[in-house]
Amino acid sequence: MRVANGRPITRIPTEAADGCSYTMPLSAGGSRKGGPIMELALDVSKTGSLSVVDVKGEIDVYTAPKLREKLIELVSEGSYNVVVNLEGVDFLDSTGLGVLVGALKRVKAHDGTLKLVCTQEKILKIFKITGLTKVFPIFDSVDSAVASGDKDQ
Amino acid sequence: MPSVGESSVVELEIPPGSAYVAIVRLAIAALARGAGLGEEAVEEFKIALSEACTNAVLVHEESSIHEPVEVRWIEEADRLIVEVSDRGPAPELVKEADQFDSQGFSSRMLMSRVLLSALADGCEFLPRAGGGTVARLVLDRQRPSG
Repeated sequence: MRVANGRPITRIPTEAADGCSYTMPLSAGGSRKGGPIMELALDVSKTGSLSVVDVKGEIDVYTAPKLREKLIELVSEGSYNVVVNLEGVDFLDSTGLGVLVGALKRVKAHDGTLKLVCTQEKILKIFKITGLTKVFPIFDSVDSAVASGDKDQ
Repeated sequence: MPSVGESSVVELEIPPGSAYVAIVRLAIAALARGAGLGEEAVEEFKIALSEACTNAVLVHEESSIHEPVEVRWIEEADRLIVEVSDRGPAPELVKEADQFDSQGFSSRMLMSRVLLSALADGCEFLPRAGGGTVARLVLDRQRPSG
């Protein structure tokens, strides 16, 4: 970082970030080398024929591939009815939306469902702005998503 | 923070890697809070900023450009401005109708543009001196609530 018209005070190196220290939460968020690593925690549980993916952390261009890989893995294992719980998500942008839309297309190809759980207004707002509230069934709890069975609503 | 005329300016450079977009969000969110922006407005601005940074980082990755992505924060009396500069080729003008796939789903880029225009009070794309694009986001400091 440098302050305009001043001496550079910090410059994030353009090379691999080995030796740099950051106060970001550090954990395995992806397989890419270098740079600060942001955590995205994914926890999958099965409830009947439904797979519930609890997502915790920030979904952005860096962490979205991890979610995409998990959702592709579920579909390839034959889980076509998926609930993605976004209650633990602190941040979501178009890359996260892209992953969810991609997963929706995959489960629909198998006549499956992709339901979301979200009550956070700041996250719901992203779905409203992009018109995706009409595309995704969104529930206020995992229980209500599970109770809706294999139906969309 | 030094002032340039009536403005305060902070510049950041990040490597063109996706991991660094979160760093920019943290830094700009802190600056926005310091400028007195409310938490809801900060959260919205973070998304618009993330969109601009993501687009810049991706254009560098796609074009194998290793130079940094530049982020410039300008704090003025009545508005906050963030400029995100990439050195990639100028974005192709794609018709909105072409941004939908065969199933009617919009592309990530279209969703990104929709979020940018909805969450910033002003958003424009300008040519960068020396090549590339500057995404210029403006936030009025006196935002109508809601």
